Amino acid sequence: MKMNMSDKPKVKVATVWLGGCSGCHMSFLDLDERLVELVKLVDITASPITDVKEIPNVDVGIVEGAVCNEENEHVLRTLRARCKVLIALGDCAITGNIPALRNQFDLDDVVARGFVETESTQIGEIPSDSVVPTLLKKVRPIQEFVKVDVHIPGCPPDADTIWYVLTELLAGRMPQWNEKNLRYD
Amino acid sequence: MIAPKKITLTIDGRRCTGQEGQTILQIAQAHDIHIPTLCYLKHLSPWGGCRMCIVEIVGSPKVVPACSTPAMDGKQVVTNSESLHKLRRSTLELLFSERNHICPFCVMNNGDCELQQQGYRHGIDAIRFPYLYPALPVDLSGKYIALDQNRCILCTRCVRTCEEMEGTHSLDIANRGAKNHVVVDLGATFGTSDSCTSCGACVAACPTGALFDKAAAFRGKLGTCRIVRTTCTECPVGCGLLVYTKENRIVEVFGDFDSPVSEGHLCVRGRYETWAEPRRRILQPLLRRHGKLEPATWDEALQAVRQAAQKAKPVQKAVLVSPRLNNETVATLKKFERVGVFVAQNEAALCAEGDRCPDSMAKLHDADTIILLGARPSHAQGVVAAKIRTTVRRQGAKLLIFHTRKSDLDQYADICANVVSLEHKFWDRVAEVLQDAKRPVLVYGPEAMTPIGVAVLERLIKIFEAKNAGPAPALIPLPTSTNSLKLAAGGIEPVEEVGPWLDLKPLKFLHIVASDEPDGGARLLDERYVRALVEEIDCVVVQAAYQSRLTDLAQVVLPAAIWCEKQGTITNFEWRELPLQAVLPPRGEARQDREILEAVLK
Repeated sequence: MKMNMSDKPKVKVATVWLGGCSGCHMSFLDLDERLVELVKLVDITASPITDVKEIPNVDVGIVEGAVCNEENEHVLRTLRARCKVLIALGDCAITGNIPALRNQFDLDDVVARGFVETESTQIGEIPSDSVVPTLLKKVRPIQEFVKVDVHIPGCPPDADTIWYVLTELLAGRMPQWNEKNLRYD
Repeated sequence: MIAPKKITLTIDGRRCTGQEGQTILQIAQAHDIHIPTLCYLKHLSPWGGCRMCIVEIVGSPKVVPACSTPAMDGKQVVTNSESLHKLRRSTLELLFSERNHICPFCVMNNGDCELQQQGYRHGIDAIRFPYLYPALPVDLSGKYIALDQNRCILCTRCVRTCEEMEGTHSLDIANRGAKNHVVVDLGATFGTSDSCTSCGACVAACPTGALFDKAAAFRGKLGTCRIVRTTCTECPVGCGLLVYTKENRIVEVFGDFDSPVSEGHLCVRGRYETWAEPRRRILQPLLRRHGKLEPATWDEALQAVRQAAQKAKPVQKAVLVSPRLNNETVATLKKFERVGVFVAQNEAALCAEGDRCPDSMAKLHDADTIILLGARPSHAQGVVAAKIRTTVRRQGAKLLIFHTRKSDLDQYADICANVVSLEHKFWDRVAEVLQDAKRPVLVYGPEAMTPIGVAVLERLIKIFEAKNAGPAPALIPLPTSTNSLKLAAGGIEPVEEVGPWLDLKPLKFLHIVASDEPDGGARLLDERYVRALVEEIDCVVVQAAYQSRLTDLAQVVLPAAIWCEKQGTITNFEWRELPLQAVLPPRGEARQDREILEAVLK
């Protein structure tokens, strides 16, 4: 593979984890030994993997998860403003997926169910601290907030698919989707 | 009849020939030209609702659905272009956005879903429209069938299947526009529906996870299952089954569209009861020791059977078998001194009648008049009932029912009579209805063999003779027991009443082969005195697949194979020999009925 571009500056990447299970980031780590090859070409800046919180200006932004609360929205808009190419990684970012299940119910009912009515809860209390981000009325996929350049569907997308997309982009091509490489589940 | 005119058209630059009246899709498919479809199913009438099969006709400003547009001579059709691809993609995006098509937790995930497959084929990585996320109900009230409105794309394949295959029209679409949804019985649920027969044809037709089999949900991807073709042995119709298995277990059972008998259709018994019902299987031989049935080896059990049989004189021994036994067992059965096959009331006479009607199902399909005498197919032979319903409801055939018990078919009948109260005037009306019958069919069941049934049959024959014109009806015997016709023809005595048969010669040894009767043969004990008679016999051997009251009182219990483990042939009511193909190896220590009987004889 022609990935030896050591003379070129490394591509800067930031990843964020919104309303999702982190499975997409896990799948990213499933690149295994290919990660070694990848870090020769890219710098992973802010990311749940590096635990760097402040998002710098980057070339590529990768988003896992749906937009469930105001903080999610803020992080998403920040990343969009600071990256050139935005990648939606996984079904939650693209369709809302599991987090969007709550869209079928009234938000107050969902919160009560989660914090008060669960079987294991003894004395439940709905958090009211201003530090806790306010939930949006509906969970929405990221493309309903910002422009998304590349979508990688899957729950989670498997490492091979992530590798395909990243290597295509690094080679300056847009990934092409067809029945062989697409998966929604 | 005039032969349909030949037409020639160009599809994607290829010259294609077909017949006038064929659709563009039919001709394209005949020439291996792929056009994507979603609401189309080969065996159903086209609907043209999903718009996936749209094509361009050169010279025409608009696109047309290939499934419902008749092909015209000389036209040029384009099935694949950039604009068609864009339109199809938009259609799919709208479908994905409308309801909650969340693949990761769908019963149909992993590529079994046709909507998902179309999404992949059209390269859809995300949709441009906002998701509606509607709150929609899931109906889990049905015994076997579930309806998840979240997954429905309103293709109406279920609605058309229910109408065109089962003929009950239990399903339809309610409301207008975005509020469209599938309803059962005008708003009931599967659990409360009066008209739904749980035939499951709608589930088989559903392209997504909207309608699914509860027992099959999350049990495995159909695409990776092993598929075995065999024959249903629940009744004498002999429908074709496609059994999907994975790791030696059944995942799902569907109708076989290549079956000349059932053409893909099944009733609740073949579709669900055989695998989706909890039944207590007997997995090893049992031997009564100190008054208790205890596990034993095959050698011990067979030894005990042989010893007990030797103690009794030939006249004191009998074998009573289930009518589910296959044709290959007949020769083995004839080696026994006294052997009978238990059949339904009046079925012995029906077996003795000797009428054979090849291609009965095809005759029912083509009939313009169907007379149903002493048979209740909705109850006992669901696929025959479905055929009658569709012939009557969709082709306008007349239906005359003579029966003492009600069934859902009564509502479609021109004449429906309780056979006990018939007057002269009534028969004039019957004659009137039969006057123009050109392709009459008379289906008669066991009850036609009762004195009243025979009287009705004679009156009907007189009416047909008096007509002097038009053909006599095709006579179709319709027994209720699976292979009773063939077993009786093979010389096995049909036994309607077990009590008198057992009492005729006092027995010391009785071997009952219940095979895979769902009740384990327990219904034999429901007959008066039978329990007392059986209890008096020194040694009762019960060969059965399922535990029951009957196996509980046996001295020896021999585990038998069930339908999906059987190999051989059976002969259906049309006198058609049908193959039984072993789908799975016998569970536990169960063995084939014939094998066990041969071992007993040694």
